[in-house]
Amino acid sequence: MNASFRRIDWIARITFLEAVRQRFFAFLLVLGVAMVLSSVSFRVFDFGHGELKFIADFGFGGMFFFGSVLAVVMTAQLFFSEIDNKTALTLLAKPLSRWEFLFGKFAGAWAMLGVFVFVLAGLLGLVLWSRETELLALAEQTGRIPATFSLSGLAWYALLQWLRLGVVIAVVLSISALARTFLFAVVVGSLAVVAGQLQWIAQDAVLKPTDSPLYEAFLWLTTRLLPNLQQFNLGDALVLGSAGVPAGATGEVVLSGLLYVAAYLALGAVVFRRREI
Amino acid sequence: MSSAISVRRLTKDFHVGLRGVKLRAVDDLSLEVPRGQVYGLLGPNGCGKSTTLKVVLGLVSATSGEVSLLGEPYASPGARRRIGFLPEAPYFHKFLSGRELVRYCARLSGVVPSDLGSAVEKALALASMTTAADRPVGTYSKGMLQRIGFAQAVVHDPELVILDEPTAGVDPIGSAAIGDMIRAMRDKGKTIVLCSHLLGQVEQVCDRVAIMDRGKLVLEGRVEDVLARRDRHVLTVEALTPAARAAAEAALQSHGAVLTSVTHPRRSLEDLFRELVTGSRDA
Amino acid sequence: MRRHLRWIAPAVLLLAAGTCAEISWRAVRPAIPEIGRKELEPTLGQGVLLGVLGGLRTVIADLTWIRSYVLWERKDRPGCETLMRAACALDPHSRYFWENSAYAIGFDMAHWDIRRRGGYDKVPAETQRRLFHAYARKGIALLEDGMGHAKVTTPLLLTAAQLAELKLQDHPLAIAYYRRAAEAPDGPWFAARICAQVMWEAGRQEEAYRWFRDYWTERMRGREDGFPDDLQRLRTMEEALRITPGRRIERQAWER
Repeated sequence: MNASFRRIDWIARITFLEAVRQRFFAFLLVLGVAMVLSSVSFRVFDFGHGELKFIADFGFGGMFFFGSVLAVVMTAQLFFSEIDNKTALTLLAKPLSRWEFLFGKFAGAWAMLGVFVFVLAGLLGLVLWSRETELLALAEQTGRIPATFSLSGLAWYALLQWLRLGVVIAVVLSISALARTFLFAVVVGSLAVVAGQLQWIAQDAVLKPTDSPLYEAFLWLTTRLLPNLQQFNLGDALVLGSAGVPAGATGEVVLSGLLYVAAYLALGAVVFRRREI
Repeated sequence: MSSAISVRRLTKDFHVGLRGVKLRAVDDLSLEVPRGQVYGLLGPNGCGKSTTLKVVLGLVSATSGEVSLLGEPYASPGARRRIGFLPEAPYFHKFLSGRELVRYCARLSGVVPSDLGSAVEKALALASMTTAADRPVGTYSKGMLQRIGFAQAVVHDPELVILDEPTAGVDPIGSAAIGDMIRAMRDKGKTIVLCSHLLGQVEQVCDRVAIMDRGKLVLEGRVEDVLARRDRHVLTVEALTPAARAAAEAALQSHGAVLTSVTHPRRSLEDLFRELVTGSRDA
Repeated sequence: MRRHLRWIAPAVLLLAAGTCAEISWRAVRPAIPEIGRKELEPTLGQGVLLGVLGGLRTVIADLTWIRSYVLWERKDRPGCETLMRAACALDPHSRYFWENSAYAIGFDMAHWDIRRRGGYDKVPAETQRRLFHAYARKGIALLEDGMGHAKVTTPLLLTAAQLAELKLQDHPLAIAYYRRAAEAPDGPWFAARICAQVMWEAGRQEEAYRWFRDYWTERMRGREDGFPDDLQRLRTMEEALRITPGRRIERQAWER
């Protein structure tokens, strides 16, 4: 097991290095950073949501949108570059199991997205903190209730987004293990992300009573096959305190996210095992 | 002791297109690769050589038949730990230096950290890549890529080394260097399987050869045995005058032998090239 | 058979993940009120989908609101109402969208509808009254929905009170809203005065005086200048109700 872990670690390191050196990663990271910073200048555009909410929303949007694009495109690219360039031939001829290769790819891609999410979250925290300080001083002068944000909530939100992107990576890897082309993996992976973001519709329907056992079975199956990616979007509640999140609920979301990662990686490993390199 | 590679009645079919039309790449192939020898697997493009090697390495599954590797079932991690493989036209992560690449492959092949440094340096030295080891792989020429590929294949001191077209696209100097590396490995008692369609090189370095055509084995045996024509002889003579030639012809006839041709011996273009060009620019 | 056994591990893990997600979803669902709102369905094709998927909801809500203003200028009632409701749904924590949507629906749209039907001269008075009532009720219903989500609800109570008073002429309802607004921690000073006035005009003079007196004593007397105009209004009420001097509010030192 220790030897397996070491091999996964090496595949992950090289995958991470390859990923962070790509211009696409740098481009999306710069776009995300620009989006967070630009939120300060777009404040005048805001319709009374509260400045901090407006700024936070830019950060959440950057993490969600560019993070999803990175997770889908970079994961498929990192996988298919090994297959198409035949580096996978060299690696898999060594005492490296296919599941170890897949897990290593996952860990490398996830680490790259960790850098992306935590850089944006750190920057967002900085922008929110500096504006909050100004608003607190202003509130003291005017006697109004000051707007605040939660730094620990932001850390939790970043962790949840990272986990959500981990689920996306695992889904895209299991699709890539089956797909013959990069384009197929990207298109189907993107559709899977959209389906995952909308999975809650089926999930909500499952929670309501229905007369049709067939429909109920269909919904049950859908909610088991597709990951619920919407449950990770607790930004407003955690960072701005717009709604209370019950104690332990975040832990349950983390647990389900980790189980999704394990499930899709296991699925990918079974599919990849039969793939002819 | 078991063979290095044992292939019994191996068949591999690929299904192509939407209708799944069957394409037979390897057809009922059986062969044994003895240990400690350089074994050449020859054949034209598309004859099934690479597919056979991929099945042996567990990269592709067999449709039917059995393969064992160093006495173990094919593709088991235990067997792969004892094998080195250089694929055809190898491509490596361009951002790594040669040394980093060999180090990475050594770790994946199970070299323990305490032996890592010496194993990497030994492999680099064997492939004559020590001086260029700190350059990024992306800056290497084709010959250097093959040599660093060779280094990564042997870094964990495998018992069996499988080389798929190691000299494809490499200049004669580089090709000769790879030939020297193969001989050095054989001298250490390793088994080498060389898959190539460059017959001259195979002839020079291989002990045994197998020739494949359309997925089938058409010839297998020791190189001297398969190449020698026992009913023909070659005499090399210096300063042959017409009179001497007539006398020799008459003498041969008196013993019932017939002189069929007299030509000037030719050295190979490769020998001439190596004589003129003292060393590769890659070195 | 062994080949099929390999599928068991991912299947069991997927089952476990799905079941766990169902439990976690039940817990966190109320914290994400933006999604699953029927108001968004007609607008999903207009760029709102991205907001529904996650992130950038505030920005998309703003853009939706700007677009709704274009339709408000054109007096396009269905389009304007759809987009305004979509903005509320995308960012339900914002008071601004609820308040201004309710104003547009409750105060403006009945006029647009009457014009569309031929104008004030052609539409019978009874129909006009029915339309004003219908749109005012819609506005109040929207405000009630907003009060469940918006962080700041007092302005929504005041808007609801205005709609009930001016468009529905439902004084008990208007009084109830004004009273809730006045009694809220951030209730503005004028809410109590208007509440007392509406109560008075609705014939509940005794109640209006008692409530306004208590309110002034507890929340106004000690603040700022003591709200002399409101005390003056209370004195007028005492006069009108013929309250004996001993039971009146004691004379303030600063009182004229």
